[in-house]
Amino acid sequence: MMRAGLLVTVFLAGAALMSLEMASFRLVEPELGSDIVVWGSLISVFLGGLAIGAVIGGHWADTRPSLAKLGLILAAAGVVALAVPLYADAVLTWTYPGAGAPLPSEWGTGGGGGTELNVYHPPDMRWAALLAGALLFGLPAVLLGMVSPYAARLFVRQMPHLGTSLGQLYGTSTVGSILGTLGTAFYLIALMGTRWLLSMNGLVLVGLGAALVIAGSLRRRADEAGA
Amino acid sequence: MKRTTILAAIGAGLVTVLALAWAGAGGAAAEQTVTRYDRESKYYRIRVVDYPDEGRRCLHFSKSRGIQSSMILDAADKLDLRYSQSMAAALAFHPAPQDVLLVGLGGASVPKFIQKNFPDVRLDIVEIDPDVVKVCQEWFEFKGTPNTRVIVMDGRMYLKRSPKQYDIILLDAYAADRVPFHLTTQEFIQLAKSRLKAGGLVASNLWEHAVNRFYYAELKTFQATFPQTYLCRSGDSGNIIVFGSLAAEPLAKEDWAKRAAAVGAGKDLGFDLADLVRKEYEPLTTQKIDEKALTDDLAPVDTLRREDPKHFEEAQPK
Repeated sequence: MMRAGLLVTVFLAGAALMSLEMASFRLVEPELGSDIVVWGSLISVFLGGLAIGAVIGGHWADTRPSLAKLGLILAAAGVVALAVPLYADAVLTWTYPGAGAPLPSEWGTGGGGGTELNVYHPPDMRWAALLAGALLFGLPAVLLGMVSPYAARLFVRQMPHLGTSLGQLYGTSTVGSILGTLGTAFYLIALMGTRWLLSMNGLVLVGLGAALVIAGSLRRRADEAGA
Repeated sequence: MKRTTILAAIGAGLVTVLALAWAGAGGAAAEQTVTRYDRESKYYRIRVVDYPDEGRRCLHFSKSRGIQSSMILDAADKLDLRYSQSMAAALAFHPAPQDVLLVGLGGASVPKFIQKNFPDVRLDIVEIDPDVVKVCQEWFEFKGTPNTRVIVMDGRMYLKRSPKQYDIILLDAYAADRVPFHLTTQEFIQLAKSRLKAGGLVASNLWEHAVNRFYYAELKTFQATFPQTYLCRSGDSGNIIVFGSLAAEPLAKEDWAKRAAAVGAGKDLGFDLADLVRKEYEPLTTQKIDEKALTDDLAPVDTLRREDPKHFEEAQPK
């Protein structure tokens, strides 16, 4: 029962993660451009968050792991996702402010003259995109990165079957990620706005977290009654 | 012996079929083309192809056969594509344009047209792909003038950052296979509007193989942003040019055409601008469009492009 619940958990967490990543493109592009530099920055922020989360989550999992704590991690990720639309505008405007100094003082000289073309090369958005991405999606990525190792600690019972168990868990999580990506790209972006999409993912994570907290406390009671 | 005969017959048949197929392919590709440039850039695969039979040089992006830009080889400063001529109608809409911004360089046909026929206009061009700029210089006879500046940047990022005000803003950044949604939304059109001088105008090229819901959503977005809107249906090309103007009063077709005649007078534009305005002009301001304006939050451009238009009241020519 608990193992099935953990599989559902990593599935939904994987789906929400990728749905958030797709939503992050839509949220950031209007302000920082639909440049490959922007996409690369956002993907890196998510991967970086997952890496940090994996290390922290794995470490925490070794000290009295419980379903309830896993639930709290997921709920925290959900709360942050719910909050992102509230401060997105402020972050994006801060990382790339509006009308500044007019050309060409800000972007150097065009270098042309006569029939030579004046071409200006302003700096691209890589640093603005990395910064905005980290501020907006760094924390939820870290929290969701904690889920896999933490769930693995609860999921694996017997060391001889470690490989099988981890394989099932990571496989399920990745299938969730695929469905989160496709569902968002194919349907949800057209169906609801970016902000609703973020909120929906937040609600799913909060709901999932709450379910785990409740399941964890029921389980503890049952264990105590049994003992 | 018999088997050998059959095999020989099959062999001969195959050779005939192959020869026919070869001839057929040759026949279909009777037109000679010369690829001048074919390279991956940061954004596209850029191809420059000459069509000597037509005396044309075309710019293609990616594998698409869609033509981004076309140049008549011995008339490099003429507007070859019908839609670019319709875009030029914007220069007649404004009584005395001084500052013009073009978002999306393409094959530089509109810039060359402006440089030649409106040499006093200060022209800024924003193009995201540095290789497109190089290709225009190398293959499309795009040269500098003291009044021309090219800024290699995302169009929206430029408009947000630069406080410069323009008389005319031409948007032609939809021409790749993908439509960058952040250049379609009400927030973006509003931003462009905020960079207009009094009486200024934004003209946007919408290009597709077939008219679809995205067109109308974009027309609606212009309607929602500007007091006056117009469109030019550029023949059967699939192009619609939408115009949004800050002017309080609408500009009647005949007035626009008269201005176009005045603009064209004494110039060798290569086409009749006044005639084009008369043929393509449609007022859009009061037309009912059954679509929602696109916003940064909800702009399902890719989905809308796949769907047939719902409903559009055809304009009655005034």
